[in-house]
Amino acid sequence: MDRRPSRRAVMTGTAAVAAVGMTGCLQNPDPSRGGGGGGTEKYTEGDVPGPGTVSVLGAFGGQEEEAFMASLASFEEETGVTVQYTPDQDFTTTIQQRVNSGDAPDVALFPQPGGLFDLAAKGYVTAIDSFLDYDALDSTLIPGFLDSARYQGRVYGAPMRLACKSLIWYPKKAYEKGGYSEKPATMQELYDIADEIKAGGIAPWSDAWNADQATGWVGTDWIEEFMLRVHGPEVYDDWIYHRIPFNSPEVVEVFDILGELLKTDGNVLGGPTTILNTPFSEAPLPLFEDPARAMFVRQGNFVTGFLPEDILANMDEELGVFAMPPWEGGFEGQPILGGGDLAALFTLNDDTVALMKFLTAPEFGAEWAQAGGWLSPHKTFDPAHYADETTRRVAEIASSAEVFRYDGSDVMPNAVGGGSFWSGMIDWLNDSKTAQQVCDEIEAGWPQ
Amino acid sequence: MTAAATRPSESPEAATRERSGSPARPALLVVGAVGLVVTAWLVCNAFLAFAYYPQWFLNSKILIGALGLLVGIGGAVVFFRFLNMIIEGLPSRLGEGLIPYAFLLPALSLLGLMLIYPTAQTVVYSFANDDSTEWAGLANYRAIFGSGEFWQALLNNFLWILIVPIITVAFGLAVAVLADKLSPQGERISKSLIFLPMSISFVGASTIWGLVYAYSSPDSAQTGLLNAVVTTLGGDPQPWMQIDTARLNSLLLMVILIWLQTGFAMVLISSAIKGVPEDTVEAGRMDGASEVRIFWQIIFPQVRPTLVAVFITVLILVLKVFDIIYVMTNGRDNSDVIANLFFRKLFVDQQAGQASAIVVVLLLLVVPILIFQVRSYQSQEANR
Repeated sequence: MDRRPSRRAVMTGTAAVAAVGMTGCLQNPDPSRGGGGGGTEKYTEGDVPGPGTVSVLGAFGGQEEEAFMASLASFEEETGVTVQYTPDQDFTTTIQQRVNSGDAPDVALFPQPGGLFDLAAKGYVTAIDSFLDYDALDSTLIPGFLDSARYQGRVYGAPMRLACKSLIWYPKKAYEKGGYSEKPATMQELYDIADEIKAGGIAPWSDAWNADQATGWVGTDWIEEFMLRVHGPEVYDDWIYHRIPFNSPEVVEVFDILGELLKTDGNVLGGPTTILNTPFSEAPLPLFEDPARAMFVRQGNFVTGFLPEDILANMDEELGVFAMPPWEGGFEGQPILGGGDLAALFTLNDDTVALMKFLTAPEFGAEWAQAGGWLSPHKTFDPAHYADETTRRVAEIASSAEVFRYDGSDVMPNAVGGGSFWSGMIDWLNDSKTAQQVCDEIEAGWPQ
Repeated sequence: MTAAATRPSESPEAATRERSGSPARPALLVVGAVGLVVTAWLVCNAFLAFAYYPQWFLNSKILIGALGLLVGIGGAVVFFRFLNMIIEGLPSRLGEGLIPYAFLLPALSLLGLMLIYPTAQTVVYSFANDDSTEWAGLANYRAIFGSGEFWQALLNNFLWILIVPIITVAFGLAVAVLADKLSPQGERISKSLIFLPMSISFVGASTIWGLVYAYSSPDSAQTGLLNAVVTTLGGDPQPWMQIDTARLNSLLLMVILIWLQTGFAMVLISSAIKGVPEDTVEAGRMDGASEVRIFWQIIFPQVRPTLVAVFITVLILVLKVFDIIYVMTNGRDNSDVIANLFFRKLFVDQQAGQASAIVVVLLLLVVPILIFQVRSYQSQEANR
């Protein structure tokens, strides 16, 4: 039995050689393309007849899915095309996996442009100008929205839903009782109102950042709002597309401006520790306690989903909202920061094009607007379709914006917009790092 | 792989021919080898066809599933048939020696595919760039060893290793010994209660403890248990997960793992204590030894191998600890560990190179412990 060890050695050696032999190579940098898309010429109806069904992948499910399908009912009736919608909670990952393995849906509804750009760069997505009337679309959309889906000169996603972020919410009854002004023209005027509230014995602001693994995104929204207001849309674009470094003096200045608002004693309920430890969904709660413990919350239009039930029942009487005003001495005009779902086309045929035209038409979404939780990205959408006055007010704020910009952290590479920018905001808020240090680190970690 | 596995046997074949019983049967050998290759080729291509040309199968997922089952299982049967044929074709002496390996081959190849191949691949990718398309030399290792967060994570991992296994074993031992003195009823109840957390997932446990450590602003009601206790005693609420003085946040996270694992340690140690022969304890009593002395000089030496085994199992678990940190802090405020840092590098920063380098370091740290564990198990078996 003295041969045993040597045989074992042979087996081990064989396995090791085989394993190394299989691994000693790198990945193919340009995986072969599967599926359709990538067409550059103008598409005319009839080029590719449709199969009668269109598969759609999106991020929203439940009630939103029902409302979406309801607003597609007339399309299905008119054209005879069946829409198969698949909701996926983990959309961002799923879409990359499916497209890269050659199993792309016909149409995908992207909640952020970041992942869309990746797929557009690989040639999987058809630019919308080859099958939609770009100019007509641009003329009814909120100005600047299409730019958010532009990649190397061409637009790859058509907006079909709007999220509006630059909103300041207040408890109407308590606020009116205090007699504070409801129309601050500038941030500085808003600060004066905040000082009045402070003199009244409560903190003017309530803010909350905690979102478990995603803690920090609320902070990035704050920085984006101020970048847009203090330095204007051009510098904002330079910043989010990394044409200026992240640690340029403009950005550091905005951190300091935000620091004065959030870190000054008594300005925000509970101070930075409470901000970091409270779930973002709980930020509006202190506004509706009796007596109110804070007056302002800055958050997107989705915040209404987190309100206590009794407030939600008569939202129009309880909840007030105005646009976060411009910065005096900064960009003149009302900028709005937001987001939205972008419809992108992977399979080019008559049916998918018809669906894209329907989704991006200014009239689309009346049923969804009725159901609530949806805003049209078109200025020309009839506000009468919205279910309540508060939503109409938000829609009006969004559509009267002079400049619309997409949430910058959604546009930046994921390593920054979903990583170092988030953690940097936390380090900065709890004073473990200065604004300059945070900006330097984010700049150093920007992917090449 | 099959070809590689059988080839080394051909040279000794010549040497052993004179001595062996039945000679080689080349015809059988050739048929077997050809059949083996053809089967493998057919099966692989069938599965590729399912993926690339679903229209050949009427786009029916049920049909593809059924065919997949048929081709997979049928293919495996035919594959083994030909493999057997090759062995029969070999000279009998050699064939008999090879048979166990031949039938172990599928299991070994799966192990290779799922374990050895990814490990080797990870080591290779740790020398490549962010999307593993170009060699980067030692740049990844230079980057991780030069970054503060890596050393913080390593230090935290070191603290976890130092603290968690020893306390878990100590608690497990204490509970096992004390429960042994209770009435059968009391022992059952107390052991069940302590074992209960074992059945909770790491993420679930973290969520539970997240409520214990929760913080609300000082002027509002404290929903966190720990802060409620502190404020009742007249203190100020603390944001526990943010305090990295003396690594308090990491220590509080370790409490969760200890809470989860004490039950595991207790069960194994308790059964070891029950296995201590009563006559050895009896003999101690006869000689007038105190209970403490009996424990340390009679019971403890006899359960020591179990203690070591439990210690090492928990130690390896600690090296891999990820869920608790991911759920509770995601590495904020200096509470990061290597596994979580790796996850962030790969899935958030999308730097596959640095992520691979980090796990290679983790692998190097685990290997000596694994070897030690295997050795100690072997010596334990030998003592039996």
